[in-house]
Amino acid sequence: MKHEALLWLVILVPMATGGLAAVLPSPRKVLGTLCAGVGVTAGLGWLVAGQVFVSGPVSAGWEWLYLDALSAYNLAVMLLIYGLSSVYAWIYFGAELRSGHLTLKQTRLFAALWCEALAAMTLVFVSNNLGIMWVGIEATTLLTGFLICVHVSRESLEAMWKYILICSVGVAFAFMGTLLIGAATRGLRLSASEVLLWTRLQPHAALLDPALIKAAFIFLLVGYGTKAGLAPMHNWLPDAHSQAPAPVSAIFSGFMLNTALYCVMRYVPIVETATGHTGWGLRLLIGFGLFSILVAAAFILFQHDLKRLLAYHSVEHLGIITLGVGLGGLGTFAALFHTLNHSLCKTLAFFAAGRLGQMFGSHDMGKLAGAMRVSPVWGAGILGSVLALIGVAPFALFMSELQILKAAVDSRAIAALVLFLFGAGVVFVGALGHAIPLAWGKAETAVKPIRASMLETLLVVIPLVLLLALGLWMPGPLQTALNEAANVIRHTGPAPAGPLVGGLP
Amino acid sequence: MNADLILILVVLTNLKLLASSRLGACIRTAAAQGMLLGLLPLLVHPHTAPARVVGLALGSAALKGVVFPWLLFRALREAEVTREVEPYVGYVTSILAGILALAASFWLGGRLALSTLAASPLLAPTALFSILAGLFLIVGRKRAVNQVLGFLVLENGIYTFGVGVIAGIPFLVELGVLLDAFVAVFVMGIAVYHINREFDHIDADRLDRLKG
Repeated sequence: MKHEALLWLVILVPMATGGLAAVLPSPRKVLGTLCAGVGVTAGLGWLVAGQVFVSGPVSAGWEWLYLDALSAYNLAVMLLIYGLSSVYAWIYFGAELRSGHLTLKQTRLFAALWCEALAAMTLVFVSNNLGIMWVGIEATTLLTGFLICVHVSRESLEAMWKYILICSVGVAFAFMGTLLIGAATRGLRLSASEVLLWTRLQPHAALLDPALIKAAFIFLLVGYGTKAGLAPMHNWLPDAHSQAPAPVSAIFSGFMLNTALYCVMRYVPIVETATGHTGWGLRLLIGFGLFSILVAAAFILFQHDLKRLLAYHSVEHLGIITLGVGLGGLGTFAALFHTLNHSLCKTLAFFAAGRLGQMFGSHDMGKLAGAMRVSPVWGAGILGSVLALIGVAPFALFMSELQILKAAVDSRAIAALVLFLFGAGVVFVGALGHAIPLAWGKAETAVKPIRASMLETLLVVIPLVLLLALGLWMPGPLQTALNEAANVIRHTGPAPAGPLVGGLP
Repeated sequence: MNADLILILVVLTNLKLLASSRLGACIRTAAAQGMLLGLLPLLVHPHTAPARVVGLALGSAALKGVVFPWLLFRALREAEVTREVEPYVGYVTSILAGILALAASFWLGGRLALSTLAASPLLAPTALFSILAGLFLIVGRKRAVNQVLGFLVLENGIYTFGVGVIAGIPFLVELGVLLDAFVAVFVMGIAVYHINREFDHIDADRLDRLKG
């Protein structure tokens, strides 16, 4: 009974916080309330997610709310990222308030949309009904649109327009896919309120019409893929990520993309079973994943803007996660592990890019050269996160990428293996060429060294230490959680995760 | 008035949208299309018309036929620009592309196994045609307002499909979808207003600063 109430609370608390933050009298109070609200939500969310891993799926509201291992894992990671980003928002917007770049009205707008977007993303994870899940995704698009232009400028308006239009069209396609899934259930004789319930569809997936399911999955993959930033539907992403304020970019890259990809993951077991385990859907995922990695690699070479560079890294890493899910087996496990690693690393990278941008007044990498001298803390943050992003050992991203490579070898997907290695190699060389001058290069403009506060140091140290620790040693509970979550996608019994898990090979 | 007549009228409104040169006429045509589609659920499911079907039909018709056009006209008035559509693709070419898309929709609609499920054989082709026409309007027109209309037409196509093919979508989902469409247009309307204030125009093709 208690856990059912928790499922409701994780949606209602951020909603209420957003409403409250919109009317508070001072910007500091607004940001403080935001942090408190997100903190409470995170506590509740982790509690219920922990419960799922201890004693199985939790459901509430006549089965309309449902949390199993896959959604609990994603919810837990999302709340971690949201919590870190909220603390960062306090620092980032605090600096803007001191310099008079932010008004009370803008702060209220930001806080309200920030909390409502959290509620919408939580709704995506806790809803069992695939239609409501879609509503949640569309709601995140609309709510986060104005977060991009908290500071109204020509560039941010352009980015917002592209974001809203491209993502709305994409998400409309996903709705078409959802309807086709509904149409494919005709043979099951489900009542209207059960038609789109995942827990009803998944056990009976073998009885669904395969032709309609295939059509549906193409629409779903293109639709949710647009929101997840998979190439070639990624055009909105670099603009939105580069123009949004840094905390917003961190959430966009850190978990909004993954939220959309989570929706695709939900459909994978249904599609695989309905098409008779032929691997049709998985091959599509491999294709989109590889294409995203290669497109991102090509663009990473020629970037000048730090935040755009990071945005293309997101395209690459979402491609890697998609590739992992497509490879199946150990790949699914590694893809979910990579989700956590990428989100942690990318939020840190955007934190650092945002603060450095405030100090230097630009995100151009030429002007940011020598960041290490100006701010040792944030300079180390950006260098560490870029090194982790391109897969330097022993960071956790290296481990999860290695597992995906192993999955490719296991399933004899040699073409995928070669293309993945080629893409990752290009990214490695390209991004390293950007990162070294960024950290130690000769400064173009003299900027006075700035001391970072204790809180800022913690925000850099915690993610980096976590990434290092996870690269060297995987805690048992995390491994169990990842395996259970991967089994939801693989829809098999518990399988050994392979010898690579749990440390260096 | 039966469902087929409505579907034919929807096809005609799509063609009219492709051919119109005035923004005002486009908004009115899209409004008419929204009203027509509001009636569709009543005609497709005539025997099962409980209060919620009627309510949803009325809500959808009011939203698409009255609220959306009002929002868009307001955005247009604020913008005080010439009321030309300014296409990338000329009107004649647009119409020709529309006719080709219509033929493709009939071909595809016939091939999909859906027609046996649908209430009318015209349903799947009309839905597909609306989707294609919507995409064409988004890609082929410069004005931001026009792109919003394209999105609406696309959304209408998916709505047509949903009404005809799936009888039993849960009420809550339908409500959520309608709400999302409303907020989408609302948000886009505000965006158009901001773009106009900042740039003194609403031409999406001149939003070209961000590249690479």
